[in-house]
Amino acid sequence: MNTQEPRISIHTGIATRSDATVTSALVDSTSPVNALELERQVDYIMDECLFALGQAVGMRTTIDYDAVVWIRDNYRAKFLSAMKAFGDRWQRDRSNVTSVAMMLGERAVRYSEGKPSIDLDSVLKAAADVERHCELHARRTARKMGLNPSDAAATRIAGYWCNF
Amino acid sequence: MTPAQEVDYILNDCFFAVGQAVGTEKSIDFNVIQWWRARYRAFFLHAMTVNGNSWLKDRKRVTAVGRFLGQRALFHAAERPSIDLQTAALASHDVETGCRMSAERDGVAPQRLGEQ
Repeated sequence: MNTQEPRISIHTGIATRSDATVTSALVDSTSPVNALELERQVDYIMDECLFALGQAVGMRTTIDYDAVVWIRDNYRAKFLSAMKAFGDRWQRDRSNVTSVAMMLGERAVRYSEGKPSIDLDSVLKAAADVERHCELHARRTARKMGLNPSDAAATRIAGYWCNF
Repeated sequence: MTPAQEVDYILNDCFFAVGQAVGTEKSIDFNVIQWWRARYRAFFLHAMTVNGNSWLKDRKRVTAVGRFLGQRALFHAAERPSIDLQTAALASHDVETGCRMSAERDGVAPQRLGEQ
C-alpha cells in the first residue's frame, strides 16, 4: 500500500495534475510487487463499494447476479487504472467514493421500480447517471482549481475514481 | 471461469447482501472488510473446490446468510458509530454457529459430540 503523504495539500477526494505527477513517481506501478498489491487492494475496495451499494438499497429490493458481475467488471477496471496512475488513495477518498456508490444504489432502485429486482438494465442506467454526475463534478472542480474544464485530462484527473 | 476468479464476484454479491441488512445508520471499518474477505474467500473457495461451483443454485440461501451476518453485526455494534473488528467477529461467530447447526441437522457435517 502507498503510505506516502502527498507533498501538496489537496481537497478531499480530488487529485490535481501536480499530485498525479508526484504520486505516480512515488508509486511506480510498473513494479510487479506494487502491481500485485494494487490488485489486492482493489478487491477490498470493490467489496466496500458493493457493501455501500447494499446499504443504500437496504431491504427494498434485491439485485440480479449479472448486475453484480457488471458492476465488478466495470468499476474494478476503472479503479485499478486510477490506482496505477495515482497510487492507493483509498483511505483519503473512501468517504466520497462510497457516497457515490450509495448514489448508484439509489438510482438503481429508482430504475428498477416495477421489476422484481435490480436488473442489469437498471444498473446500466444508474451508472450512466452517476458517471455523468461525477464528470460534471470533476469539471466544476477543475474550474475551481484553475484548470481548463474542457481539457479532458484535467477533468479526468479531478474525478478520477469513476471517470478514469 | 476458475473458482479463484468466480469467488470474487460471489464475495461482492455477499458484501452487497451484508450492506443491505446494515443499512445507512452505521458505517464499517475498512479492516472489517479485509477480515471478512480473507475469512469467507477461504471458506467459499474450499467449498467450491470440494463441491463444485453451485452459486446460482445456492445464491438465495447464502445471500440470506449474508443479510443475517449484517443483522448480527448491527446488533453487536449497539451504540458504536461503526462496525468494528470485534463486532464483526461476534457476528461471524453467531452466523457460523447457526450454519454449523444447520449442516449437522441436515447431515451435511458430522455432529460435534460434547458441544452444546
